[in-house]
Amino acid sequence: MNQVVAVTINTFKETIRDRVLAVIVVFALLMIVGGLWLGSISLGEQGRMMKDFGLVAVTGFGLIVAVFVAAGLVHKEVEKRTVFVLFSKPVSRAAFIAGKFVGLCGTMAVVLAGMGLFLFVLVWVIAGQASGTVLLAVVMIYVQLLAVMAVTIFFSTLGSAILAAVLGICVFIAGQLSHNVLALTRLGKNPLTEALSWVVYVLVPNFSAVDVKAGAVGEQTLAWGQIGAWVAYLLAYIVVTLALATVIFRRKEF
Amino acid sequence: MTVETALSIRGLRKTVHVGFRRKPVEILKGVDLAVERNDVFGLLGPNGAGKTTTVKVALGLMRASSGSVDLGVPGLSHVGYLPENPYFYDYLSGREFLGFCARLFGLDGDARHERVEQLLRDVGLEDAAATHLRKYSKGMLQRIGIAQALVNDPELLLLDEPMTGLDPVGRVEVKRIIEGLHQRGKTVMFNSHILSDVHELCTHIAIMRIGRVVWKGSVEEALSESATLEDFFMKVVTA
Repeated sequence: MNQVVAVTINTFKETIRDRVLAVIVVFALLMIVGGLWLGSISLGEQGRMMKDFGLVAVTGFGLIVAVFVAAGLVHKEVEKRTVFVLFSKPVSRAAFIAGKFVGLCGTMAVVLAGMGLFLFVLVWVIAGQASGTVLLAVVMIYVQLLAVMAVTIFFSTLGSAILAAVLGICVFIAGQLSHNVLALTRLGKNPLTEALSWVVYVLVPNFSAVDVKAGAVGEQTLAWGQIGAWVAYLLAYIVVTLALATVIFRRKEF
Repeated sequence: MTVETALSIRGLRKTVHVGFRRKPVEILKGVDLAVERNDVFGLLGPNGAGKTTTVKVALGLMRASSGSVDLGVPGLSHVGYLPENPYFYDYLSGREFLGFCARLFGLDGDARHERVEQLLRDVGLEDAAATHLRKYSKGMLQRIGIAQALVNDPELLLLDEPMTGLDPVGRVEVKRIIEGLHQRGKTVMFNSHILSDVHELCTHIAIMRIGRVVWKGSVEEALSESATLEDFFMKVVTA
């Protein structure tokens, strides 16, 4: 446990002190402010437009942080040979992977909390709507990005950092679409495409099930019981993915 | 293994597969080695002899294809390691880095704080403790590397090229640290190309060549066969 805590704290320091992260967050905040302009040209829908645009910005920039930081976490340790220091001490590969993931979860929590609170305050001050659902939507974005981070870390144990980042983004996009694609292919009645989309639906986490952006802007009623079940599924998915990453990482030699 | 042995390696072989066709290359061809407790042991050999690989296999950083390694202590809790050309987390300060290493060994609170401050004093880095490692010179990195290897007060210390790249002052400091460890009853094994340091510090040496130990014995035995350690080394590796 000490080892997991140590790696977690170190990973948090590593990622939170990365200047690239600060640049990404500044860009994200500027994008959220850009939602003011969109709100100003939409008659009577200023609050909704700001929330909608702001949540898309939080998702997009959160995704960039998730995949690019997660993809480099394991690789940097191997390339810079800091693994020699780590694994010559009583640190298991499982503790390493778990610590890396939890440390990045902490950084992602800080990043998303910052962006989410900024959006909440902006909508409150400009549009006069103290919308708690915006914060709930950010929490759900966080849960989705945790799964993306776990998947990206898994891919980074298999191949290069760039490949892991690209595959992480692909999984995020596939996870947003897989439910609808499966429904569409069932209408088409082609057994091959239906089987393929079913395989993707099973392998890739269903992010659309926990996406509450539409509910946050008032376009959809939220079924919290169902969302809670999907969150539990995503957390289980994360555990399994990290366990697989550990199995692969155990085989590595340095 | 006898009680007096700190490290015992028997018939160690390591084969790696290289290239697209996964061609097998045997880099360790049956290494036999024993390091006695409280010894300062020099592992010598030309580049590519297998010194670093031997140490990495001993530490579990690489898996042995066959053979056995007995560290003489359970697990890695009582072993310290300084890698060759060490690179550490440059976003951490010296104090933070040692704190991180101490936490890996389960040291908490005051015990961790005291250990870290003690090590910073021991390696002469108290004044640079709050400086980020990216601003450390090569000599300072080597010293913080030795400090991290000592964080658990190990019984066995494995140092890979500890003097490489150091200026004369840095070399003297590292030698003093090794001598101090020896006086405190610790076992030190180090790889080095600097034979004058080996002569000065070691009681026993082993010479490796192309994945095998081709000679092992005391420094005195080596010097009884040649005028200098350099001459003896050249004689063994070119034989």
